[in-house]
Amino acid sequence: MVARVWSLMRFLIKGSVAGGAVYLVYDQELLGPSDKSQAALRKAGEVVPPAVYQFSQYVCQQTGLQLPQLPAPPKIDFPIRDTWNSGVIRVMSALSVAPTKACEYSREGWEYVKTRVK
Amino acid sequence: MSESELGRKWDRCLADAVVKIGTGFGLGIVFSLTFFKRRMWPLAFGSGLGLGMAYSNCQHDFQAPYLLHGKYVKEQEQ
Repeated sequence: MVARVWSLMRFLIKGSVAGGAVYLVYDQELLGPSDKSQAALRKAGEVVPPAVYQFSQYVCQQTGLQLPQLPAPPKIDFPIRDTWNSGVIRVMSALSVAPTKACEYSREGWEYVKTRVK
Repeated sequence: MSESELGRKWDRCLADAVVKIGTGFGLGIVFSLTFFKRRMWPLAFGSGLGLGMAYSNCQHDFQAPYLLHGKYVKEQEQ
């Protein structure tokens, strides 16, 4: 009797946890349209770091531990997208003019060799 | 489609993929721990489900300007 009640309780607890997770996903529309997912990711990025910081402060207060102050990460002002795009454009233009330039340089080289041979 | 709009679509696609794969993975963990005796297949199933949904959304997003939506018009008898 007790074992049956306990197994039923366990099933109900597991069902509640799983159902809660499914409801959370449905409520936050995480598996919905892409703009909703992007908004959820942005909201998580704004909420999670302060929450983690506050939790770490609370743990430090309760346990008396002192977290070491890490130096701030260096700010790298390197526009990756712009440099990548300009790099791709330069490579493609170089490839497009490569045959013409090769002909021109080979002709100039030939002219130079002819003048030297004379 | 302008380059900035294309870039925004790619950003949206990547964010959507991260959220959906993470959500599928998380749901897989929950179901694996609660009902499926800590097996690995719910995690793989959930992640695959999220990846497929993200791919479908991305495909729809990129093809959207080129889709033609037609409709049937009934001929009216005179």
